[in-house]
Amino acid sequence: MAYLTRTLPKRVFTPSLPQSIRQTRAITITTLQPTPTRPTQTTRTSKPRQLPQRTYHSALHARLPDHSYTNSQTAILTSALAHVPAHGFTATALTLGARDAGFLDVSVQLLPRAEFDLILFWLASRRGLLRGQVEEGGLFRRIAAEKGKDIHELSVEERVRGLILERLRMNAEVKGVWQDALAQMSLLANIPLSLTELHALASDILTLSGDDAVDATWYTRRLAVSAIYASAEVVMTRDPTPDLVETEAFVERRFEDRKVIADKLIGIGQCAGFGWNTAIGLGRSWGLKI
Amino acid sequence: MSTMSTRSAWRALHYSAKRRAFQPFTPYRCFSCANRAQDQKTDNDRMTHFGFTNVPESEKESRVGAVFSSVAASYDRMNDLMSLGIHRLWKDHFVRSLNPGSCLPAMTADQRGWNILDIAGGTGDIAFRMLDHATNVNHDMETRVTISDINADMLAEGRKRSLDTPYYNTSRLDFVEANAEHMPHIPDSSVDLYTVVFGIRNFTDKQAALNEAYRVLKPGGVFACMEFSKVDNPVLDGIYKRWNFSAIPLIGQVVAGDRDSYQYLVESIERFPSQEEFRGMIQKAGFMIPGQGFENLTGGIAAIHKGIKPIAKA
Repeated sequence: MAYLTRTLPKRVFTPSLPQSIRQTRAITITTLQPTPTRPTQTTRTSKPRQLPQRTYHSALHARLPDHSYTNSQTAILTSALAHVPAHGFTATALTLGARDAGFLDVSVQLLPRAEFDLILFWLASRRGLLRGQVEEGGLFRRIAAEKGKDIHELSVEERVRGLILERLRMNAEVKGVWQDALAQMSLLANIPLSLTELHALASDILTLSGDDAVDATWYTRRLAVSAIYASAEVVMTRDPTPDLVETEAFVERRFEDRKVIADKLIGIGQCAGFGWNTAIGLGRSWGLKI
Repeated sequence: MSTMSTRSAWRALHYSAKRRAFQPFTPYRCFSCANRAQDQKTDNDRMTHFGFTNVPESEKESRVGAVFSSVAASYDRMNDLMSLGIHRLWKDHFVRSLNPGSCLPAMTADQRGWNILDIAGGTGDIAFRMLDHATNVNHDMETRVTISDINADMLAEGRKRSLDTPYYNTSRLDFVEANAEHMPHIPDSSVDLYTVVFGIRNFTDKQAALNEAYRVLKPGGVFACMEFSKVDNPVLDGIYKRWNFSAIPLIGQVVAGDRDSYQYLVESIERFPSQEEFRGMIQKAGFMIPGQGFENLTGGIAAIHKGIKPIAKA
């Protein structure tokens, strides 16, 4: 035993973990440094700047940034968002944003996807804000207080519902122009990125709600949340009420539907199982070698 | 057009380049490049490529000059034949993606209209398209284009064509004969958009031209370049190479009566760096790269490269 306790820390190799986290952060910081005005050739690499990409989930590494835009791109996009309620997700908003950020009209060339980049940036930054509200803003505490519950009594589904509604409320200021954005997102070339972003949102909502399923429901839950959110977004664009009451009711109904469908599917599955077992039993009673 | 005389000049030069080793004492005199032919003995140590052959750096400029003087008149007809008309689609796409001209009212005096520098744009192909786009799409009457080319024959062709455009003899269009590697007449940070379309592969020192582009661009200004590049798809690449090396010199011979110039064109296309290498050169000059940094057209036969000069942090 004494031997085990002595060797265990070495095998787990914990001391290296914080260091690796720090390393990831250090990389993120260097990639986000402002580009020098006249850079020396030694500091420049010939490869384009790529933000770290990770295809797996890790609780041990720092979270990847919500979007992969560089500093200059973020500056233009952030200032452009201020013009979105007035001008929509258009090239005009981008140009005005570039001017506000101290760039020229021509500098919108920094964004190869133009308007769609603005939409993606909006989606990604709102997703980041949602996470921030949960992690620092005490969103769940507020939701629990509204329902008159303790924060620990909130079920995963209640949390998911709260997060979807909170995310929809963030769209309230661009409600009038959001249909245009949805149209842009549904263009053939833009569909893959739009779906990726929708999945990222669904995944974030479920992770933040404390959903830790690792079986097949991992997929069905994300699919269900994506479907509910995407349809609620369309309803939201036509919701005339100031507090999105209709949208809220719509989301409630969809969650009930989901429950009904889930119950039905379980029922059908059970029925099919019984039928199968009966058929096998019947066959065996007839002497079939099953 | 002085097609015949320039063609004979090119022939004569080519001839002399081949025979020089055997007749070193015969001074050869060519009306457009007499000096270069004379003093190239001293510059022989630095070589650069001219198509598949290596030539002294000092000689490349005059050789390229001879090629383009020779092709100036038949430039458009040959482009149509060689690219099966696709070059027009590329150029239209290039200009549309740049969206020159501001549709918004200017806030300050220096926002009024773009100052565009079109390098190696002698015949005005890109310049007229950009001015048309600014005027008709963005209703911007202020945007102006300076066409710069090293070759006087190409510029003359462009001047001739500008007669048919509404920009002839206005302040919106300007012609300058200059070497893109060294443009002292253009002040620092004065250009919004720098374009070079199917030109940069002929430059003797591409990195020097990129550095010069960086110098003349305003902070936030854009360097945009369209150039032949490498095809990804091996099947398409095979067809494309066969077309390049068999059909194009033949078309050149039949239509323009000049096989050698077109042989040079396809060889220079072959020698031009790949998309990734050229992106590295743009970055080396100090530009920021938007996204991937290049956009392939028709499977990579041509590619649009872009770079943005970063703004200085206050």
